[in-house]
Amino acid sequence: MIEMHDVYKVYSNGVKALNGINTKIDQGEFVYVVGPSGAGKSTFIKLMYREEKPTHGVILINGVNVKRVRDWKIPYLRRNIGVVFQDYKLLPNMTAYENVAFAMEAVEAPKRKIRRRVQEVLELVGLYDRMNALPSQLSGGEQQRVSIARAMVNNPNFVIADEPTGNLDPENSWDIMYLLEEINSRGTTVVMATHNKEIVNTMRKRVIAVEQGVIVRDEQGGEYGYED
Amino acid sequence: MKIDTFFRHFREAVKSLARNNWMTFAAVSAVSVTLLIFGLFLVFAFNLSFMASELDKQVSIRVSLSPQITADQIDNIRSQIEQDSKVKSVEFISKEEGLQMMKQQWGDDKEFLEGLEKDNPLPDTLQIQPSNPQETEALAKDLQQSYPNYIEHVDHGEGVSDRLLNLSAWVRNMVLVFGLGLAVLAAFLISNTIKLTIFARRREIEIMRLVGASNWFIRWPFFIEGGVIGVLGAIVPVTVVLLGYNAVVGILDADKAYSFFKLLGFWDIAFKVTGLTTLLGILIGIWGSLISIRRFLRT
Repeated sequence: MIEMHDVYKVYSNGVKALNGINTKIDQGEFVYVVGPSGAGKSTFIKLMYREEKPTHGVILINGVNVKRVRDWKIPYLRRNIGVVFQDYKLLPNMTAYENVAFAMEAVEAPKRKIRRRVQEVLELVGLYDRMNALPSQLSGGEQQRVSIARAMVNNPNFVIADEPTGNLDPENSWDIMYLLEEINSRGTTVVMATHNKEIVNTMRKRVIAVEQGVIVRDEQGGEYGYED
Repeated sequence: MKIDTFFRHFREAVKSLARNNWMTFAAVSAVSVTLLIFGLFLVFAFNLSFMASELDKQVSIRVSLSPQITADQIDNIRSQIEQDSKVKSVEFISKEEGLQMMKQQWGDDKEFLEGLEKDNPLPDTLQIQPSNPQETEALAKDLQQSYPNYIEHVDHGEGVSDRLLNLSAWVRNMVLVFGLGLAVLAAFLISNTIKLTIFARRREIEIMRLVGASNWFIRWPFFIEGGVIGVLGAIVPVTVVLLGYNAVVGILDADKAYSFFKLLGFWDIAFKVTGLTTLLGILIGIWGSLISIRRFLRT
């Protein structure tokens, strides 16, 4: 469960990104975060995996006050959160398999377990027979699937995605969405910032709209609601 | 840490060193120069303190007896001194023996001493070895006071060993100051090398952080990298210093003229010098990598 109470974020350059956010996301929910560019979506997302600290207010992740977590303990917090980015963030000199295995090596999982689990998630994202390809040999959609495999390989409670379909054509975007829905159906909370009107309006989920740093709309099965 | 993880870190470190081969070379060279100077100082310091302690052992007191003394009195004094617990041994050297020894020492120039047999100016002497070299001076004073009628002069080569001990302490301090300065310089160079490799791997570190790698997990490869640079940097200086030392010892051994100038044997210092130099290399390497990675691990 993710809870935000009266959260403000002011960056050191004076930009006020969030101005009092209150919300609660239950375990197993699927949430779109929408809003115009610069509305604070990215900051909202970054606070959840503790890439940024709130200037004011409280963020609880499974009851843990994220602001109070010591720097050196952040890695342990993150093991419970998978993150997916618009630009995939894969390591170019590693194969698809190695990129996914890397996330398990980093948490010092046993070697045999790594091999089994990595093959399993690569199969789930449909890249089992491409596991030895380098990112440069994969299409954008395939690269994003590798990054989703990496995000879920450690069985996190949350998957947080920042515009995961931003760089993809509609067909590949839908592949990614089906994957996220599949992950969600297994009980993982998915929070996704997006600009994709078609997806939000077709795959109806909870929609949180952020404008000028505050939540202006929060509805189950809501619409995208913008014309971009 | 798991053994798998350790091997992973080691692989990563070696890969990174190979990938940034020129920077690695520069850092290794910087460490080498530092360690070369450190190694030379080390050899100096070891030998100086060795010489000081050798000299201590050789310290003896030469008591010149007064010319009027009789043979009975000599025996008397001698046995009394021998009973003193501060005295290790006493040797009587008559004036004839003294002259004989002098002639031997002077060798080819002994004609200057011809004719002295008739009117030998040398006194009879007692050669006294103190049991504790540190007490030489006190013992010398004691002797002078105890037998004022029989002893003309007491001579104990004052200060020679003291001066050498001071010199070796001074050299040790110089090693510390110079060594520290050089170590800082080398660590700075290493930290720059590793900063470059970190730069190349910034993305990797970012992703490691995102997937929940602990700070130590991220740090280890860089640690090992620094250590390896240190060990590589020790190879050349250790080889040069030891080969050089071996040659010097060989030359001095062959030429007996320098036999008073006694050095430690090659094997007496080989392991110490190798161990200390390599250890310093590793410490500098790890220190350098610590400096450079700190910044990248802050959130």
